[in-house]
Amino acid sequence: MNFFLKKLLIVVPTLYIAWTVVFVTLNIIPGDPVNLMLGGRPASDEVRENVRKNLGLDKPVIERYGSFLINATKGDLGKSYLTRQPVTKMIKENMWPTIELSIGGLIFGVFFGVLFGVFAGTKPNSIRDTISMIIALCGISLPSFWIGMMLIYIFGTTLGWVPIVGDGFVSLILPSISVGLFFAGGMARLTRSSLVDVLNQDYIRTARSKGISKYNIILKHSLRNAMIPPVTLLGIQFGLLITGAVITEEVFARPGLGQLLLQAILAKDIPLVQALVVYMTAVYIFLNLIVDFTYGIIDPRIRLERKNQ
Amino acid sequence: MDNLLEVSNLNTEFKSDYGSKQALHNISFKIKEGEVLALVGESGSGKTVTSLSIMGLLPNNASIKEGEIKLFNTNKDEIDILTLSDEKHNEIRGNDISMVFQEPMTCLNPTMTVGEQILEVIIRHKKISKINAKKEMIGLLELVEIPDPIQRSNEYPHQLSGGMRQRIMIAIALACNPKLIIADEPTSALDVTIQAQLLELLKKLKNSIVTKTSILFITHDLGIVKELADRVIVMYQGKIVEEGNVLDVFERPKHSYTNNLIQSLPEFKIEKRNKENIQNITKSDNEKLILSIKNIYKEFPVDKGIFKKSTETVKAVQNVSFDVKENKILGLVGESGSGKSTLGKTIIKLIEPTSGQINFKNQDISGFNKKKMQNIRQKMQMIFQDPFASLNPRKNILDTLMEPILVHNLMKKNEAKEYISQIINDVGLPSESLNRFPHEFSGGQRQRIGIARALVLKPEFIIADEPVSALDVSIQAQVLNLLETLKETYNLTMIFISHDLSVIEYFCDEVAVMYLGHIVEMAPVNKLFTNPKHSYTKALLSAVPKVKTKKTNKILIKGDIPSPINPPSGCVFRTRCPNPGIECTGGDIKMGLVEVEPNHWVDKCCVKLD
Ligand SMILES: Nc1ncnc2c1ncn2[C@@H]1O[C@H](COP(=O)(O)OP(=O)(O)OP(=O)(O)O)[C@@H](O)[C@H]1O
Ligand code: SF4
Ligand SMILES: [Mg+2]
Repeated sequence: MNFFLKKLLIVVPTLYIAWTVVFVTLNIIPGDPVNLMLGGRPASDEVRENVRKNLGLDKPVIERYGSFLINATKGDLGKSYLTRQPVTKMIKENMWPTIELSIGGLIFGVFFGVLFGVFAGTKPNSIRDTISMIIALCGISLPSFWIGMMLIYIFGTTLGWVPIVGDGFVSLILPSISVGLFFAGGMARLTRSSLVDVLNQDYIRTARSKGISKYNIILKHSLRNAMIPPVTLLGIQFGLLITGAVITEEVFARPGLGQLLLQAILAKDIPLVQALVVYMTAVYIFLNLIVDFTYGIIDPRIRLERKNQ
Repeated sequence: MDNLLEVSNLNTEFKSDYGSKQALHNISFKIKEGEVLALVGESGSGKTVTSLSIMGLLPNNASIKEGEIKLFNTNKDEIDILTLSDEKHNEIRGNDISMVFQEPMTCLNPTMTVGEQILEVIIRHKKISKINAKKEMIGLLELVEIPDPIQRSNEYPHQLSGGMRQRIMIAIALACNPKLIIADEPTSALDVTIQAQLLELLKKLKNSIVTKTSILFITHDLGIVKELADRVIVMYQGKIVEEGNVLDVFERPKHSYTNNLIQSLPEFKIEKRNKENIQNITKSDNEKLILSIKNIYKEFPVDKGIFKKSTETVKAVQNVSFDVKENKILGLVGESGSGKSTLGKTIIKLIEPTSGQINFKNQDISGFNKKKMQNIRQKMQMIFQDPFASLNPRKNILDTLMEPILVHNLMKKNEAKEYISQIINDVGLPSESLNRFPHEFSGGQRQRIGIARALVLKPEFIIADEPVSALDVSIQAQVLNLLETLKETYNLTMIFISHDLSVIEYFCDEVAVMYLGHIVEMAPVNKLFTNPKHSYTKALLSAVPKVKTKKTNKILIKGDIPSPINPPSGCVFRTRCPNPGIECTGGDIKMGLVEVEPNHWVDKCCVKLD
């Protein structure tokens, strides 16, 4: 069977399982949604009953679960308790800043991660290796909200090099760094260890015996082979990229899904939270699918294996 | 002849946490233009370090303390290699001096097509256009006799067999018409049949290369030296102990180490034994059967992933029947992938046969479950090839040997201790070894421990799977001697699995030749080696490079062993047979052994042709 089809076949149940978890957790949260809906205002039983009906809460859980899955598949995730707008619309409106930020973080993380990884890995146990790895460790262990605040303080407030608010490319720099630093740290460490491993392989010795320059040995013979573990990491850490974006948006007071999610959680706006999580899981699974395909591009052995299945 | 390369007074050292260790001591030698110089010596003697020193590819913890390596150019300029910068050295590597490495499986980049890997070196050193370079690349593939060169050049290393990958390595080495090719054990990881193909190729190249390319051929195999080299250097513990013309060295070795090396070759030992007539013929009256297997089949389902039910099978063992007489050694020989190890494990029931009967001491054990096998296991033991992998690294030797005794309730713990130290002495190790751990032993010593572990349960029957293949020739001889004495003292019967025909010839009483799951010929050793009947046996015997006999016409086996998932119909060997009959090519004859002379069994399709 085609590898692509097979993967898709696995994606569908994964999505449904993820959505089920979302549904179950949000529906066992204590507190009557009707109260939340009414914003704590006192109301007669009649009104409450009406609201309940409007929300579809009078139906049995199983039925609600069924229609949730069906609607989720159609992309219809109900209306927000608070704004009474369709949640899909709210998400669409707030989507772009977050996508920009995630891509910014991703680019920063991959670029500097690989750069530092290669810088360290090509000369293991040297001073430059040690320094690079200490920086990478800082990137991993420092919380991104703190980094964000520091960046604002140093480059925005004190030095005044980059604007902290506003739109456009420049204002994206600091938030991207703050999102991507964690990523960069992990990438750097993994790229380094994987590169050190590859450089000890027999085929690198063969390349050297052919008189290939150091530069080409890294570029043509090592990097591609070394990139498989970092790409895997990429897949695993997309989730962290999303949470990173959420926190960063708060720190930089940027609009976006992060802000939306935070507001939704604070207001216990269940349909909105639910919709956001549903979307994020879908994106996460989709991105992992892309990563899966990238393996095949990097490694012909994997590509062939898939063809033969 | 002019000198091409002069190595003088080379001292190379390794640094480690425990201090430094000198790997090469005052190595000096010369390579002349157009000659094949062989470098022999046991593992760790410094052969590879010598070649890497010349290539400038030593690992980071190594350094050259002293010495000079001079390369003479076409216009007789001398280049002092050791003083070159890395950039300048890169001009020479792959261009003037190139190298072929031992491990064909790992030496090529898995993410580049083999064509690209050849192209790369051409473009690097010859200033020619990509189109012309491509033409040269295809030409090189033809030169090293790769079938369908255009198609193959677009494939990745893992799509090629070991033999083909090594041909690709040779193509890379030849690409820029180098003055010197260093080949470090280029055929050691391959089957004899594939080795013979490659040696034939190298010989052809050697005779056809007009530009007087020299070859430094590193090997531990003296047979190859005899076949290929003009001169030979013998290394021992980082020093050169002997140097001279191949014929002189073999006939009149000056150094005792060289002499020992030659004397420990199985072919010499066989000759010696035949002279002294050690073989005691009267002894073979004892014809009691200990093992008799009938129509054994073993097929493994092919794993196709979770979505597909597998219908294909790997046909590892096909209709094998034979008897083993008490106190005899039956050798099992064949190329890798022929099913030797599977057959061995099936007999001892480490894996279940698909069908067939295994009679051990007049008891059919093929249907026995694990519990019933417990008692049988005690009498049947197995010795494996890789002694390190089969020993638990966290257990000392005493515990390792104690365990089976306690499991089988053979004796009490304090009794066992004495018994174990007796056995460890029998395998030639001091009793103190019992308190030590596997990593503290050399390869040969570990194999002795493996043997001791097989012996503790006082078995009557042992299956030894390539027990000496990982060992150096001289150590091999010691371990074989040990097995021979033990066979007498413990009254053992053995199945001895090996791909090395000379070891089999020296060590076994009877031989069964296996190919793609079938036994194609079986006979007492001297019959089989002097009068082989099956085409495969003949080709296999002729493939072995030997020191003694001067072989003129080799029977070469074409290509690689076919997949055991879809073996050829009819005679399984017909796709590679050097001289198939007309009846064979149709693929509809049935295989099966017939007795052509007393105790000499040959596959019946091949008999008809004689
Ligand atoms: N990377 C290394 N670090 C430390 N010592 C090494 C290293 N490589 C080789 N040596 C040592 O150098 C000596 C010579 O090793 P070398 O690899 O040249 O042997 P060889 O003759 O090629 O053996 P083989 O037949 O096993 O390939 C040995 O004592 C070995 O232990
Ligand atoms: S039966 Fe025919 S094809 Fe098979 S080995 Fe004999 S001669 Fe060759
Ligand atoms: Mg070596």
